Amino acid sequence: MTLAAAPPSSPRDFGNDASWAVLLLGLGVYASAFASPYGLRVLTLAGCQALLVLGYQFIFGHAGALSLAQGAFFGLGAYTTAILSTRYHWGFEATFSLSILMPLALAAGVALPVLRLASHYFALATLGLAQMALLLVVNAGDWTGGALGLTGVPGIAILGTAVPRGLPLAITVWGAVTLGAWLSRRLTHGLTGTAYAVLRSDTLAASAIGLAQTQLRFSAFLLSAGFAGAAGALQAHTVGVVSSETLEFSVMVTCLAMTVIGGSTRIVGALLGALLLTYLPEWLRLLQGFALLAYGAALLAMIILAPEGLAGVLGRARAHRRQDAVLPLSAPVALRGSRSATLEARGLTKRFGGVLALDRVDLVIEPGEILGLIGPNGSGKTTLANVISGLVAPDDGAMRLGSRGLRGLGAERIARAGIARGFQTPALPPSLSALELVALTRASAGQRIGFLPALLGRDTGDERRRFEAEAADLLGRVGLSSAAVRPCGTLPPGLAWRVEVARALALDPMLIILDEPAVGLGEREQAELGATLREIAGCGIALLVIEHNLPFLLPTAHRIVVLDQGRVIAKGKPAEIVHDPAAIAAYLGRERLPA
Amino acid sequence: MITTLQLTLNGLALGAAYALVALGFVLVLNATGAVNFAQGDLVMAGGYAAAALAPLMPVPGLALLPIVIAAMALLGLAVSALAFFPLMRRPATAVFVSTIAIGLVLQNAALTLFGPEPRTAPPVWGSEPLRWGGLTLSHQAIAVISVATLLVSGQGWLLARTRLGRNLRATAQDREMAAALGIPVRAMIALSFALAAALAGAAGALLVNQFFVTPTAGSALILKAYIAVVIGGWGSLAGAVAGALLVGLFETVVAAAVSYTAASALLYASLLLILLLRPQGLFGETAGRRA
Repeated sequence: MTLAAAPPSSPRDFGNDASWAVLLLGLGVYASAFASPYGLRVLTLAGCQALLVLGYQFIFGHAGALSLAQGAFFGLGAYTTAILSTRYHWGFEATFSLSILMPLALAAGVALPVLRLASHYFALATLGLAQMALLLVVNAGDWTGGALGLTGVPGIAILGTAVPRGLPLAITVWGAVTLGAWLSRRLTHGLTGTAYAVLRSDTLAASAIGLAQTQLRFSAFLLSAGFAGAAGALQAHTVGVVSSETLEFSVMVTCLAMTVIGGSTRIVGALLGALLLTYLPEWLRLLQGFALLAYGAALLAMIILAPEGLAGVLGRARAHRRQDAVLPLSAPVALRGSRSATLEARGLTKRFGGVLALDRVDLVIEPGEILGLIGPNGSGKTTLANVISGLVAPDDGAMRLGSRGLRGLGAERIARAGIARGFQTPALPPSLSALELVALTRASAGQRIGFLPALLGRDTGDERRRFEAEAADLLGRVGLSSAAVRPCGTLPPGLAWRVEVARALALDPMLIILDEPAVGLGEREQAELGATLREIAGCGIALLVIEHNLPFLLPTAHRIVVLDQGRVIAKGKPAEIVHDPAAIAAYLGRERLPA
Repeated sequence: MITTLQLTLNGLALGAAYALVALGFVLVLNATGAVNFAQGDLVMAGGYAAAALAPLMPVPGLALLPIVIAAMALLGLAVSALAFFPLMRRPATAVFVSTIAIGLVLQNAALTLFGPEPRTAPPVWGSEPLRWGGLTLSHQAIAVISVATLLVSGQGWLLARTRLGRNLRATAQDREMAAALGIPVRAMIALSFALAAALAGAAGALLVNQFFVTPTAGSALILKAYIAVVIGGWGSLAGAVAGALLVGLFETVVAAAVSYTAASALLYASLLLILLLRPQGLFGETAGRRA
């Protein structure tokens, strides 16, 4: 597939561009030409912090989860280096590798209980982990030197060649920072970075595009632990002493402050935050006792006034120049593939407390069929949609898509199995454009989202352009072209449904579920929606449409199912349903007769 | 036998103080959907408030308590104005960070004002131990238990029986619905913060005589209060109180039998275990989203 058009340059790309490389270069010039020995030491320590913060950005910035264990991973790395080098006289290569591996292993070990947790559960579970680590270190005095710690950690020696303190050490540490920054850019500047933006802003939207959320969080957590271990090891070599202070909460809070103040997703932000908060206390000697007080105040001010941090503030001016994105030429997507199958649900039952929301519902949707689902409010329509799309687990019953059983699969896996979902309140990340969202969905359906594909460069460059071209094609089919580059948050309802349908199509689905798509649409838009749905069905895709608007639904649907109090009370062709006594009594009557 | 009784009493007293912290925790969490990470530091602030007032007013701790509570309620209002309202429309994580920042400010303000040495304040009333038969019971433990019981039941009465309490609960259940019903939602949230800070301050003033207070004393409390809430369940006040008493008893008994470190480590391990076995807690906040 060849494409002539240039890719749209999105404003959110900014900040992960090369401004961090310029900053690093400037530091290099300062270090080699102007810095005093003391200045070099401070610079080296700032480098350790920069590496710590770069790692923390993965879990806190990109995955959006407040981990309070980053300080513990840092301490674990420092202690690993200190214990192995002072007690067993291991070489740098071995101690450094193990200092990264130990936190990785700990993170992987606790990930199972911890990563399933959301919000404050995650924050406090990681805080508990950090507190346990501190207790362990202070009380395992034989190994760790107790509260006093371990002294005499040797300097770095690479392949037997000692790296002297001063400039060489500073260069080594900042070399590691550069490597870390490069890795971070590689992993987050493609569509995987965009996937994290969706993940942290709206988990429902993330499951709708089939993102493997747990895996994404897991890899972010592991990476932050690995970076923290490396940072701890380098700091141990730089300072020569490791004590339990390394594990105290103030290290964690300082890391958090650096990340928030610098900017939580941009590489240049990590460097700025680490440099600023390392140097400020040095510069403002008078403030000595107040340093942490000032951190606290600055942290509060930044989170309120500039949530994107210094990098965001500095970047905003330049980002404006990039707003005029263009839609790429489209590459046609084959909607009718080898994938088409019948959805069969048998005996679906769901209770909420004492209420029977679904009562042994049987449902069959054939390929190419539009099935309308109607019923009074509270009859279980949305619950049925949630059960089929995996957002809610049924208490009983079985579901199959073709020959594949769906029972027990989560929402993301059901989405990737071929059941796409639109929502009553469109689940569109407000800051992403429709083009980005649909391209991301194509990449997600093609298994190109995650740190491994990103490391291999498979979510960026030509590959990304291909996904964007396919997205342009899908958006064109639903009648959204010029507005496709606008942020989804600015789209009126008449356009929002088009994005929802295009996103659904991007999953290469066998079944699309839509929940009241016609709400808020004028007559002309309803007609367009109906025509679009018919066209999609014509490609062999099945549709399940929940709708109250009968003048829209009756001519659009091939068959109608009527739900009442969680039970199917009538089904048939639209012309039969309007005469069905049960349907009239439960639902249609209310629509027809004056109250 | 006698030591067991005394130990139980001490455990219950500690648990009663934890209950005050845990209640404040639940109040704010329910009202805002966000954790107030400064809750432990508010306890510390209450301890210092009592310690600072004591030399100025030679009265028993009980007389200082209303002043501490009033001052802390004001501090709670300030916390809500600084750390919650500006971030109302942002993800809960932003509030976690802002309250961590508040905690940092409180800790270091205390460090600057009072120095790192532990401080104390007079006991709630009388310092002579109570002798009853062969038993020697510390006044302080009984005083803490009774004052905490009073405050907890007052809190329960407020929420269950008064119009104000109904408004608070309505706000906690569904903010938008409450606003639609004409309940002043912002005022209710501010009040939740004030009540939480007042309870935390009371806990601090009650604990300071026996346990002393240092600038970092609050950090460990937040986890213990959280564990209490996780054990007891999110919805019910009674559950949080029961959880807090359990944590206090467990900590006191294990600390006496083995060591304080072992008690804390076991508590943290049990937190991870509870979260592993009941990942969504008893709160079920993963379900649905507010439209």
